[in-house]
Amino acid sequence: MIDNPLGAIMIVGGGISGMQSALDLANSGFKVYLVESAPAIGGKMAQLDKTFPTNDCSMCIVSPKLVEVGRHRNIELLTHSDVEAVAGEAGRFTVTIANHARYVDVLKCTGCGLCEMVCPVSFQSYFPEPPPEVEEEQQSKKKSKRKADITSSLTPRPTSEQKWSFRVDEDLCSKCGLCHRACLHEAVQWQRKEVASIIQDKCTGCGACYVACPEKFQAVIVEDVPDGDKSLGVALHSRSEVLKKIHAEDRGRCIRCGLCTIMCDKVMGPSALKLTDQGVEVKLDACQVCGSCISVCPTDFLAIDKLTDKEPQPLLNEFNEGLDQRKPVNIFYPQAVPRVPVISEESCVKLNTDFCGTCQTICGVGAIDYKQLGSSREIEVGSIIFSPGIEVFDAKLRGEYGYGEYPNVVTSIEFERLLSASGPTSGTVSRPSDGSHPRKVAWVQCVGSRDVSCNRDYCSSVCCMYATKEAFIAREHDANIEPTIFYIDMRSFGKNFDNYVERAKENGIRYQRAMISRVFEDPISNDLEVRYIDQNGVRQVETFEMIVLSVGIQVSDKTRGLAEQLDIELDRFGFAVTDGFTPLATSRPGVYVSGAFNGPKDIPETVSEASGAAQAASASLAKVRGTMLSEETLPQEKIEEPGEELRIGVFVCHCGSNIASVVDVEDVEAYAQTLPGVVYTDKPLYTCSQDSQEQMKDIIEEHQLNRVVVAACSPTTHEPLFMSTLRQAGLNKYYFDMANIRDHCSWVHPTEPEKATEKSRRLMRMAVANAAQAKPLTELEFDVESSLLVIGGGVAGMSAALEAADQGFGVYLVEQQPRLGGQVRNLKRSWDGQDFAPFLESLEMKVLGNENIKVFTNAAVIDQGGFVGSFETEIITPTGGSRIIKHGAILLATGATESRPDIYGLNELDRVITQTDFEQLLIDEPTQAQELRSVVMIQCAGSRCEEHLDYCSRVCCNHAVKNGLKLKQLNPEARVDVLYRDMRCYGLGELDYRQARLAGINFIQYDPANAPPAVEAAQDELSISVVDPSINHQIEFTPDILVLSTGMTPVDTEELASMLRIPRNEHGFFIEAHAKLRPVDLPSEGLFMAGTAHGPKNVSETIAQAQAAVARATTILSKKKLKLSGVYSTVEPDNCAVCLTCVRACPYGVPEINEEHTAYINPALCQGCGICVAECPAKVISMGRFEDKNLAAKLQSYNEKAYANVNGGD
Amino acid sequence: MLPCTGRIDESLLLKAFENGADGVMVVGCLEGDCHYVNGNIRARARVERVYQILEQIEIGPDRVRMYNLSAGEGAKFAAFANEFVEIISTIGQSPINKARSGNSQPVQEVES
Repeated sequence: MIDNPLGAIMIVGGGISGMQSALDLANSGFKVYLVESAPAIGGKMAQLDKTFPTNDCSMCIVSPKLVEVGRHRNIELLTHSDVEAVAGEAGRFTVTIANHARYVDVLKCTGCGLCEMVCPVSFQSYFPEPPPEVEEEQQSKKKSKRKADITSSLTPRPTSEQKWSFRVDEDLCSKCGLCHRACLHEAVQWQRKEVASIIQDKCTGCGACYVACPEKFQAVIVEDVPDGDKSLGVALHSRSEVLKKIHAEDRGRCIRCGLCTIMCDKVMGPSALKLTDQGVEVKLDACQVCGSCISVCPTDFLAIDKLTDKEPQPLLNEFNEGLDQRKPVNIFYPQAVPRVPVISEESCVKLNTDFCGTCQTICGVGAIDYKQLGSSREIEVGSIIFSPGIEVFDAKLRGEYGYGEYPNVVTSIEFERLLSASGPTSGTVSRPSDGSHPRKVAWVQCVGSRDVSCNRDYCSSVCCMYATKEAFIAREHDANIEPTIFYIDMRSFGKNFDNYVERAKENGIRYQRAMISRVFEDPISNDLEVRYIDQNGVRQVETFEMIVLSVGIQVSDKTRGLAEQLDIELDRFGFAVTDGFTPLATSRPGVYVSGAFNGPKDIPETVSEASGAAQAASASLAKVRGTMLSEETLPQEKIEEPGEELRIGVFVCHCGSNIASVVDVEDVEAYAQTLPGVVYTDKPLYTCSQDSQEQMKDIIEEHQLNRVVVAACSPTTHEPLFMSTLRQAGLNKYYFDMANIRDHCSWVHPTEPEKATEKSRRLMRMAVANAAQAKPLTELEFDVESSLLVIGGGVAGMSAALEAADQGFGVYLVEQQPRLGGQVRNLKRSWDGQDFAPFLESLEMKVLGNENIKVFTNAAVIDQGGFVGSFETEIITPTGGSRIIKHGAILLATGATESRPDIYGLNELDRVITQTDFEQLLIDEPTQAQELRSVVMIQCAGSRCEEHLDYCSRVCCNHAVKNGLKLKQLNPEARVDVLYRDMRCYGLGELDYRQARLAGINFIQYDPANAPPAVEAAQDELSISVVDPSINHQIEFTPDILVLSTGMTPVDTEELASMLRIPRNEHGFFIEAHAKLRPVDLPSEGLFMAGTAHGPKNVSETIAQAQAAVARATTILSKKKLKLSGVYSTVEPDNCAVCLTCVRACPYGVPEINEEHTAYINPALCQGCGICVAECPAKVISMGRFEDKNLAAKLQSYNEKAYANVNGGD
Repeated sequence: MLPCTGRIDESLLLKAFENGADGVMVVGCLEGDCHYVNGNIRARARVERVYQILEQIEIGPDRVRMYNLSAGEGAKFAAFANEFVEIISTIGQSPINKARSGNSQPVQEVES
């Protein structure tokens, strides 16, 4: 580490992992550069439909993070960019970033999507080689030898709807007569050596003359073209849209509108099409197969396979896993951040042939720049976090399942897109072969996981759960679906996962333990037949209508290349190599890692690691925190004078034509002028664009506006932007309201423009009425006590204490035992074979020797008060004295212990021991262990059962494998039999499991419901019997010892939890604020947790989580003051009846009765839901922005008349 | 728009009818999935009480209804809205609107 490090961190990979790291770091005072190679951040999570085990909508929970990252002052997004080189060392790296050309200016683009809408190209063209400007290819267009006629059984019926008019310019006409010959309606008058003219009565406006007139003369002029002022391409698109509606009944019939020929000749260049009596003639060798003619054809008369004899190459939408098509100009996905398209260099006609250019002509803000060049940039940072994520296994490598051959065999990620409401089928589960709704659907697990044959020896850890989720959601979408999941072991090892699987079973999902070896397709029905051996050893044949392959996850070649640039060590699968005690540090100092690239894992673990990596990457930079931030300087806020008149400004947005194409924006604006209080109106093309925002500030100033209403798009994405503009203009930001006339009007009522306009007027009126009632709200600021209280001194607590001390915070570490260390004192070795003893020793030394950490052993918390940033906690020390400590955040690391239930003779017989006992024997008494002739292990002994621990303890399977291997190492002759339900050796633990089987350890599955292991235990002899389903026979064992995997049970925290108001689940583990995205946060602000108090986990996972919890706490502790939202509930104390209704109603337990004997709601703790406001019988609680008068104003103004009456009419 | 359907109380729902609504739709998170833990369950209870009040004062109980949706279910929301409009169209104008000059207002939706 160098002396003068930089307070900036680069994150490579903008999935959920990179986003979480970025937010934690940026909120802790570091400058963040977030590099993502895709056009937008979001990663794999953005592609998912729902998430397990809560079935939360993935996009709904991830999009607020996308928006927050996109808007954060201290996060610089570098999308569509790649790392090219990394030089330097920890503290000061120089990273070279290649920023690929988007051909769209990110700063100007407003994300309206019009470019994508008008782009006619939908196929990868065969562009001429060499490019046309070098060789005059166009000249040869008339010499085509291969022509084909496109016709249909329906005779062409020429349309004249919305016709364009054509005329011949006398001066330009060369008198050649080509137009005359081209016209199919005898509408062109021409005689040799005379100027042609068009007989308007006969003309249908097909433009055949226009296309036929040679390029060098251009004598046929087109007029009366709506949108023709933009470009011909835009005009063709507009007319096509109109004709599509008018001719909806004419599918498959040529209506001779001529759009295809004009498109091909005048916009795209190849001039491959000509109108004929029977339809269209195509020059096969001239067609570039771009598909533009098909996109404008209003009746689907044209089809790509008729146009060319080349192989059509549809442009597949990568985000939808290639299940539908995209345009060369493409916004990655609807909620993308940045919502800026990329123009594809491969498929864009403009970039390849210089024709077209339609998108540039529709863009109202001039964002499209075909001349844009890629750039390279060097950025200096102190640390790097590498979170590139994963890709899915290529299912074609397991050819026996027929993926890529049989249309109804899809991968799980494809199925995820089929389930998604914003996916290619709008969330309808339909078969790719025929679009029908499948009834029987099978999931095949472990495709590209646990498979040595294709070098995927590891378990992908997430597939059992996502398959369960997909089956669950599929049934939610269509109750007729009968899902079957074929699996080897059900690895639902995470928190609440087993419950989820149980619920799935109750919900009609069938689990069949069997691997299917091959899929056969019925070529007529496209149904799929599978064969497998069932639990009774009987061979079964079953037919399914659709098969989903649960593909594993893997590291991409691109990521391996990147890792090489970063010079970090990878294992043979491409996962990062890390140490069990520093799980987030790579082999290169200063480079950290998180997410599935650090071993397969699900979203909560990824999020937790991401926070952990933020901690690891920033701890050594703590002294330069805040040195590279940009601070906003704001003008003094104006204070409203008493009796000041309302001066409301209303901005009605066109959103390009997103709103204006349906809603009459001028009408809405004119109507706004009639509303009481409105003194200024405007109708910007794009209200959110940077220049509009600058103008808005000037307008507020110039017109002395004191309220602003924007009628535009969604407040979820845009309200923060407008509110910050208000604040920059010196207005309180709550003097604002928004009407969503895009999503709620133009988007959902495109076919009813009048009603959409009426609704826009109403929504705008309601927003104006509400703004008139707006009150300025203050965002309270509190001082932050920059120290952390850690409760629990095990590995989690000690690691957290050290990490927090490294960040420069004071730490109070409270441990109830006489010595630090916790449960790990009883364990011997980590999963990667390292001894715990020296690690614990050094950890304890460091904690005790750190001057920032104050350790209290034999101590307990007895009272606790305060709120985030300023807690006060009373602890009792061994001397019996109590002590009050002040701190800004709390970290709970109370841990768990090994469960010791009275089963199978445990706690009674010496020969029956737990895995922890066995490990102690193996390590401490190896000579004694060597003597063991035979050992039986029973997994899930008192785990996953109702009487004892009703959950999976996650670590026991790996523990059993590790101990079994150790015994085999000591004595290869020893016999080891493991009786199990599901071997849950997730992730890289699968490698040891395989090793164990190779070493001769027997794994015998048992059925806990029908044939649990029977143990006859006496002091001198053990006899165990179990039915082995693989031979369907009872087998007997008489081992020397019986080892039980009993699982872990959380330390009793009942009193502590009730004192700190922390919810615990029925098993006694703390409940996180959000199962997916806030895995180490507790629901109350300022409280965090780490380690086994959260749920069972191993030591590496515990350390990563401790780092995560400190990163989360650092977002609070690193601030001098905390600023809270202005929206919180307040009690008017004079009229409070102290009825306790609010105390009972609040889901967060915030209201309390204070010393003045009235209810008091601490603004720092209030979450702003408004439940107490509604419940209070005396109506003495109010909440800013959502007061009764606000809501009443909205309700009243809904009704135009009632509103006019109240406001004196207009 | 409200932070949570839990913010709604009976008087607000009744005020909507007073202001000319023929029907009121309350749309909250899925039960068990409330962003604010249990606000939607409280809202449901209040909607039920308004249902009874509407019945007592003979405005018609079916004019108020609670729906539960996740934020990702746009199509379902549209289906619910259409269903509710259908119901209200069948019941017809609210007696309050009838009494007032017979000048009716279309269906009102209150979203959250």
